Amino acid sequence: MPPADGSPSTAQAGSSSSDFVRKLYKMLEDPSYNSVVRWSAEGDSFVVLENEKFTKTILPKHFKHSNFASFVRQLNKYDFHKVRHNEEAGEPPYGKDAWEFRHPQFRADRKDNLDNIRRKAPAPRKTVQPEEAFQATQQIMVLSESLSATQHEVQTLREQCSELEKTNKMLVSEVLSLKKMVRAQSQASSELITHLTNLEERRRSSRNSAHPAGPGFASAAMGFLADGPDEPAPEIRRAREILDAAAADLQADRGRERLSVAYNQTGPAPDAAGSSSVMFANAGAVGGIPMVHDAVNDPRQLVYSVPQTADMDPFQAEPMQNMPYSRALSNPALHAEAPSPLTPHLKPPPAGSLWRGKKPHILLVEDDKTCARVGHKLLTNLECTVDLANDGNECVNRIKAGMQFDLIFMDIIMPNLDGVSATSLIRYAIPSVPIVALTSNIRQEDIQSYINCGINDVLAKPFTKEGMLRILRRHLLHLVKDPQSADLVAAEAGHPVAGQGPGPPTSQPYAAPVAMSMPAMAPNPQIKFEQASLQSPAAASTWQSPSQIHQTVPAMDGGAAYMSAVAANGPASMVLATNPGQRTLSLSAAPTPQQQSQQQAQAQAQAQAQAQAQAQAQAQAQQQQPHQALPPPPPPAQPPQPLQSQPGQYAGYMTPQQVTGAHLAAMAQAGAAAAAAAAAAANASPLDDRPEKRQRLYAPVPGQAGGYVG
Amino acid sequence: MLYTDERDPGNEMPEFGDHVDKTMFEQILEMDEDEKERDFSKPLIYNFFEQAADTFERMERELEQKNLSELSRLGHFLKGSSATLGFIKIRDSCEVIQEQGKLAGSESDLAACLDKIRDALAQARNDTDELRNLMIKYFEN
Repeated sequence: MPPADGSPSTAQAGSSSSDFVRKLYKMLEDPSYNSVVRWSAEGDSFVVLENEKFTKTILPKHFKHSNFASFVRQLNKYDFHKVRHNEEAGEPPYGKDAWEFRHPQFRADRKDNLDNIRRKAPAPRKTVQPEEAFQATQQIMVLSESLSATQHEVQTLREQCSELEKTNKMLVSEVLSLKKMVRAQSQASSELITHLTNLEERRRSSRNSAHPAGPGFASAAMGFLADGPDEPAPEIRRAREILDAAAADLQADRGRERLSVAYNQTGPAPDAAGSSSVMFANAGAVGGIPMVHDAVNDPRQLVYSVPQTADMDPFQAEPMQNMPYSRALSNPALHAEAPSPLTPHLKPPPAGSLWRGKKPHILLVEDDKTCARVGHKLLTNLECTVDLANDGNECVNRIKAGMQFDLIFMDIIMPNLDGVSATSLIRYAIPSVPIVALTSNIRQEDIQSYINCGINDVLAKPFTKEGMLRILRRHLLHLVKDPQSADLVAAEAGHPVAGQGPGPPTSQPYAAPVAMSMPAMAPNPQIKFEQASLQSPAAASTWQSPSQIHQTVPAMDGGAAYMSAVAANGPASMVLATNPGQRTLSLSAAPTPQQQSQQQAQAQAQAQAQAQAQAQAQAQAQQQQPHQALPPPPPPAQPPQPLQSQPGQYAGYMTPQQVTGAHLAAMAQAGAAAAAAAAAAANASPLDDRPEKRQRLYAPVPGQAGGYVG
Repeated sequence: MLYTDERDPGNEMPEFGDHVDKTMFEQILEMDEDEKERDFSKPLIYNFFEQAADTFERMERELEQKNLSELSRLGHFLKGSSATLGFIKIRDSCEVIQEQGKLAGSESDLAACLDKIRDALAQARNDTDELRNLMIKYFEN
């Protein structure tokens, strides 16, 4: 047993070795614990004989706790190991419950060796750490590699981007210069067209006056010249349409340009923004917005004020399709084709259906069978369901019957009831259905009257497939499958050529409504031309103009009666002789006898001066046609008489102002009035040929098939 | 006559000379489903000639009656049909008739108008006859 007192080695050990080991050694030095804990006989280990006692009495004294498990754990930390005894070797030397611990350096005789007993180092951690460090560095390397790669990539992209920017700027400037050129060219072209129009005008009139009319009739020829025909040659009109289409395409390009402009912050103001919506504003509520202003200057607000286009702005919704590259070629191609009017008109219809789902149901109101058949065929080819009405009355009756249409094409000059009056009548029932005039009378005053009565747009006759398509796309946008191209088409309408055309726009008072209502027909040059040709405004009104009609209709009681009769007999069907047999018959059915009898009747009425009948008839005349009632009827034998022979033909023409309010009721009234007037005429004339007259006017009986009212 | 179609002469189109505006007429022909049968354009055009003959007869009658307004109306009517088909010479004559018919003025003017209408009508009948023959040749081949 080593001495218990301290020694220099002990003190040394105390400084370097662990307290736990020295405490342990000190505890084992106490002989009073021998029965509980003591060195083994060999002195190379110690034994806890009585676990419970040791835990309760000794541990608190030396280690300030009474937890045997933590004492064992502490021992393990210092690399003490429990000595296990093989059970087969018999009873363990210190009893079953004894715990024997051993450490190679911990011996009873080697107190100096205590310093060599140390806590075990956390070995496993030390072996893990370098591994982790290696992984970390590897990760860092990978990361930095990828970082540099990314940086490189960014750099490349940046270069590419600036490259693209440069290219884009170049392209934009190129487009701008091209646009200038195109504008100049289109101006030149429209100048040429105007010139050609005038030339043709002169040629036609010279051709007309080339007839052997004699010098005395020169004045009449001049009058005709001043009045001019209703329309320029379709070739010239087509040329204008092509110019317009090109201009509209240009506009679309400008919209694309806006994309690049957006980040370049330079370039021209994207004034094409609202062009399509401008068109819709015009088509919807035809206001007094001058075309010249809104297309060029301030269309932006309209983009949001117009519901139809609010969700369909192609430049917002599908910017990719508007990239300069995809469409860049279409323009030069179109311009290259422009000199030949055939090519753009003969291009095939767009692949697939034009319509999204529902096919439009269209009413075509047209008295001319040829036009009707061509129009019907065109629309059918565009997958529309087409109903045909032969005149205004048929149209009105269908609307009254509650039939629904998506769009109505309305001829203007028709028997029984003209298109303007029909539109006025049905506008109350169908306020929102687009009604498109189908006419060759496209002077500004005509168009103004169309607009006044509620017609939305005009398709000029003779119409083309493209014109038809344009109208359909413009007004049936909600049914069209690809609203983008529809918008492009619509954009054609709003192109600002009006402001660029020859002549100052301010000098064209009618330019705005016309341009709004019939954009597809090269509004500005057209107007320009027409204004130029209208040298005598007094002669300019067309015979279709309602007031003009009334001037030519003679002021006669019979006329009024006929008129009322026709009005009363509204649904009278038009007779368009397509049957050859009927037509040859019609040749023999000369209206002369009827006219004579009619004249007689009138003369009789006049001579007898039956005040009652006169008053009745004239009252009706005033009610229907104020122009007509006042002048006294000429004697029957006068040369102008033939003019009066068929006044009923024009009975359907009512001025838009007259056709207001409860017109359907008015028509019924007219029926009663007509009966009264007819009775008056019957009283007046001993030769009561009324039924015959009636037949002639609105019933094509065989043998009288000449009742050609179409 | 004086009015000629000066655009480049197409080679695939039959020769109708200055009677026909090719673009309009081709548009009509295009609508045929079968280019041999031509069961849309052929009856359409044959019908037009019947309609034209009928209208000319009526015009003659109205001329006798000196009924200018009716003449104008008939002129307008046939003008629309002929323009739709691209028959521009007929169209031009019809236009003369329509315009002259509109002019209601002094008595000498009336006579002048009637003379012009008579000339235009003769011209139109002539042109129509010529064109009908060309069309028949075209469609029956």
